[in-house]
Amino acid sequence: MTELVTKIQEVLNEADVVLGWVHSAAAGAAVPAWFHNAVEAEAAVFDSTCVHNLAVHLPRLQDRTAGIVAKGCDIRSVVQLISEGQVRRDRVRIISVPCPGVVDVKKVWRCFGYGKKLIDAGGQVEMEGKTAPREEILLWKCRGCRDTAPLISDVVVGDPAGVAPPSPAERTGLRERFDAMTPAERRRFWQEQFSRCIRCNACREACPLCFCRDVCTMQTREPHWTGGQINAREAEMAQHIRINHLAGRCTGCEECERACPVGIPLMLLLEEQNRAVEKLFGYRAGTDPEAKPPLLVFDIDNDTWDSER
Amino acid sequence: MRFIATDRIPGLLGRLVESGMSVWAPQVVKDTVNTVLFAPWTGLEEISLDAYTMLSAKQLVLPATERLFSYRYTLEGGRERIGIEPSPPADKETAVFGARACDARALAALDALFLPEEGSGYRDPGYAAHRAGLTVITLACTTCDSACFCSSFGKGPAETAGSDLILYPVEGGLLAEPVTEKGSQIAAFDIFEDSEQSKPELATTACIDLEGIGDKFLGAFNDLDFWQRATENCLSCGYCTYACPACHCFNIFDEMSSDREGERCRSWDACMFYVYTLETSGHNPRPSIAHRYRNRVGHKFSYYPANQGELLCTGCGRCIRNCPGGLDVRNVLKGLAAVEAATEPGTRKPGPSGPEAGKPGTEGPSANGPEAAR
Amino acid sequence: MSTIASAGIQAAQPLLPEPATVAAVIRETETIRSYRLVFDDPGVMAAFSFLPGQIGLVSVMGAGESTFAISSPPSEKEYFQFSVMKTGVVTGAIHELGEGDKVAVRAPMGCAFPSDGWKGKNVMIVAGGIGMAPLRSLLLHLLDHREDYGKLQLIYGARTPADLCYAGDRQQWEERGDLDAVTTIDVELPEWTGRAGLVPAVMEESGLRPENTVAVICGPPVMIKFVLASLDRMGYREGQIYTTLERRMKCGIGLCGRCNVGPKYVCTDGPVFSLESLRGLPDEL
Repeated sequence: MTELVTKIQEVLNEADVVLGWVHSAAAGAAVPAWFHNAVEAEAAVFDSTCVHNLAVHLPRLQDRTAGIVAKGCDIRSVVQLISEGQVRRDRVRIISVPCPGVVDVKKVWRCFGYGKKLIDAGGQVEMEGKTAPREEILLWKCRGCRDTAPLISDVVVGDPAGVAPPSPAERTGLRERFDAMTPAERRRFWQEQFSRCIRCNACREACPLCFCRDVCTMQTREPHWTGGQINAREAEMAQHIRINHLAGRCTGCEECERACPVGIPLMLLLEEQNRAVEKLFGYRAGTDPEAKPPLLVFDIDNDTWDSER
Repeated sequence: MRFIATDRIPGLLGRLVESGMSVWAPQVVKDTVNTVLFAPWTGLEEISLDAYTMLSAKQLVLPATERLFSYRYTLEGGRERIGIEPSPPADKETAVFGARACDARALAALDALFLPEEGSGYRDPGYAAHRAGLTVITLACTTCDSACFCSSFGKGPAETAGSDLILYPVEGGLLAEPVTEKGSQIAAFDIFEDSEQSKPELATTACIDLEGIGDKFLGAFNDLDFWQRATENCLSCGYCTYACPACHCFNIFDEMSSDREGERCRSWDACMFYVYTLETSGHNPRPSIAHRYRNRVGHKFSYYPANQGELLCTGCGRCIRNCPGGLDVRNVLKGLAAVEAATEPGTRKPGPSGPEAGKPGTEGPSANGPEAAR
Repeated sequence: MSTIASAGIQAAQPLLPEPATVAAVIRETETIRSYRLVFDDPGVMAAFSFLPGQIGLVSVMGAGESTFAISSPPSEKEYFQFSVMKTGVVTGAIHELGEGDKVAVRAPMGCAFPSDGWKGKNVMIVAGGIGMAPLRSLLLHLLDHREDYGKLQLIYGARTPADLCYAGDRQQWEERGDLDAVTTIDVELPEWTGRAGLVPAVMEESGLRPENTVAVICGPPVMIKFVLASLDRMGYREGQIYTTLERRMKCGIGLCGRCNVGPKYVCTDGPVFSLESLRGLPDEL
C-alpha cells in the first residue's frame, strides 16, 4: 500500500469522493478516476503522466465533500476557485503530491505511439526500449515551475521539498517567433490558427476557471456576441471573449491547450495576458486564497488597484 | 494487383491535383508536436501516414459549417418580399488520401441517413453533392494502437464499405485494390505498376463484446447511477462528437449581415452540449452529463441500429485516444455487456464501472491484439 | 401512432422555407398571440394541406426558426394559424410582427392525430394553457366532421381567466349542443362565473367514461402527469390516450438529432404519440 493510497483512504473517511488517477493499460498513462471507497482507492497512482487538472470537477461537486489529489499547479486552480467563491474551502480536502513535472502526452505519442507504457526514471523516460531526456517531453508549463511547493493542502504525500522544478524553457521557437511578429503578422498567425478550430469547446470545458460552462456566450444567441458558424472569424472572437474573461483568473495550467484537438497554441495568448496582469497588478491568480482578483475589485474611477485590499 | 513505390506517392497525389481534384491527406500541423489532421495537399506538404488524424474525414461530406441559403428582404412595387436563394450544391471533385477503413465505413453509415435509396426518403442535396464528388483512397491498417477497436465491428480493418480504392502497405510501397469504378480509374494510372505481391496481413484490434448491445443499453437505461459513474471523467465538451466519423448531428441558425439580409447555416452540433436540447422554457430533457452521454451511447449502439440496422460506431478510437477528460467508451460498453437485455427501458444493473472494474484500459489488447499484429 | 407522413409542399427541399405574410394577429393572452399566415405564392397556398396535430417551423429571418403546432383546422383554406407564446429569441421576434410582415414557413411536418381511426368513438379533449393550440385544430376538424364521431367533450383549463386562449371560439363551443365544452380555471375568482378547479379533478368528475372513448391531452408537463394518473383511475387504457410532444427541434426531418426520445424522432415519428407507444420508449421527456 503506497502512502498515496493510505492518505486517500484516510481522506475518504470524511470525504464522499476523492479525485485522483489510476493507470490505464490502454492509454499507457494515467487517467483520472473518482474514488468512492477504500477499495477503489487501492488503484490510485501518481506519476509523470498525471497531466489532468482535476480541479475542473470541483465546482460540479459542491453538494459533496470532495478530496482532490493535486499537483502544485492544480492547487493554484483550487485556490483561485476558492477565492472566487466557486468552491467552498470546507468542502475540499487537498491531497498534495510532489510533482517533478508531467509529460506532454502528444510528444510521447509522437516518439513512441499511443498506449505504450512509459517508464520515468532518473532524468530519462523509457518506452519500448527507446529513451528520451525527461525534460524534453515535459509540458511547457512545467519548465521553470514556480509552484512545486503546495500553497495550501490538508494532507501532504511525500516531501514537496524533495522535488526540483524542471529547468526553465520557452516553448521551442514559437514564443520567440511570435514575440518578433508585427501586429499584421500576428493577425495572420491567429487567423491561420483559428481556421482549424472546430468549436468543440474542449478548451472551455477543460478549464477549471471557466464557470459559465453550460450557458457560455460562445454558444448563446442571447447575448449574440459570436455567430454560430464554425470558421476562423467566429472561433477567434469566441476565444477572445473566453480569454478576456480569464484575465486575472488564469493560473496557467495549460489545460485548454492540452485539450485542444487541433493544436491551437492558446497559451501564447494566456501567457501574454497573465504577464500583463502580473506586471500591472502584481497579481498571480491562485497564489493567495484571501486575495481578490484585481479585475473584480479594480476601481476604474481611481484607476488603482489596492494591493492591500 | 497494382503497386506504387513509396517515393512515387507525391506523384500520385500530383496526378490527382492535375486532374482538377482537391486532394486531402493527413499532415502534421505546423508548430504542433503531434496534431495530425486531414488538410489540403498542394504539392509541397509532407504527408503523415503513420499517425491517426485527430478528426475524421467526415468534414468532406458534412462541412463544419455550410450555408443552406441566403435571404434578402426587398421591396417590389412598394410591397415587401423575402427572397430565399438556396446555396448551389458543391461541384468540386475531392479525393481524400490515407483515410482508414473506420473512416470510410462511417461514410456508408452517413450515406444511409443523408442519401437513402432514391424514393425512400429525403436525400440531402448538400451531402449528395459532396459525396458524389468524393473519392476515398483508404490506407489499410497493418498495425493499430490500443485505442483502436474496429475488429469489434464485422470485418474491422478489412472493411471495404465507403472506400473507392484501398492501399495495402507492403515492402517498398503500397498495393492498390479498387473497390469502385472511381478507384479502378485511379489504379489504372501508369504511376502504378502491376505486381505479384500478395496483400499483407491486416491488424487485429482489441475486441469489445457488442452482442445484443442495443437491448442491453435499454436494460440499463434507467440506472442513472451507472451513467453517472460512467461519465465521471467527462467534461461535456464536443470533441468526441466532432472527431467521430459517424456523428452527424447539426444545428441550424441564421446570421444577419445587415437587417435586410443574411444567411441560414447548418453547423456541426454536439449532443454533449447542455444547450443542445435546452428548451426556451428552461426545461432540458438531458440536463446532466450522464443524461447526455447516455443519449450518445444510445444513439450509436441502440437507437440508430434500431432504425438503420447498423451500429453508428466504427471503432476508430479517436474519442478514446484524445478525450481531454480521459474517458474510454469501451469501459461503458463492457459495463453494458454484463446487463440483461431488455426490449423496453429498464433498470437492470450494469457491471461495475468505477475505477476498480472500470480500471480504464483493463480491456487491453487481446492475445491476438495489436502486439501480435505488429 | 399515426402513419401520416409529412407530405409537405417542399418534400424535395424540406430545409428551405416558403415565404409567407402575416394576415392577422390575434392577442390571446398577455404572452400568447395567434398569427394567421398566408403563403406568398398562391400556388403553394392552394396546394397546402395538413391534418390536425401536424407542426410547422416558422422563421423570422435573421432571428431563426421555431416549431409550433398548427392551430387552425384543415378546412380553413384562406390562412393557417400558429399560436405563439413569447419565451425566447425567435418567439420574441415573432411577437414583434404585425399584419403584412414577412415570415417563412416549413410545413406541414410530423404526423397527425389518427382521428380517422376514431370514427364512431367518443373523443375527450383535455387541454391546459398553450396546449390548446394543436387541440384547437383537432377540435375544429372533428366538429367539421361531427357526424362521424360519438360524444365530443373539451376540458380546457388555465391558471386564470386571463390565461385562456381562443375567447371567440370558446363562446361558440359553449353554445353548441353537440359539444360538451368545459372551461376551468385553477382557483375561484370573483369575476369568474365558470368552473374552477384543476384540470385532472374536473376531468375525473365530469369527463367522459372510458368506454368507446379516446382521450387526447396536451398541456404543461405537470398537468399531463396528473391527468395521466386521473385517466388511469377512470379506467382508461394506454392505447386510448394520445398526446402531442414538444421538443427542441432544428431540422424537422429526423436528421439533426436533438428531438429524439430513444429511437423515435418527435419531428417525424411524432409529435403525436399514443401513450401506449410512449411507454415503450426511454423516459427522457
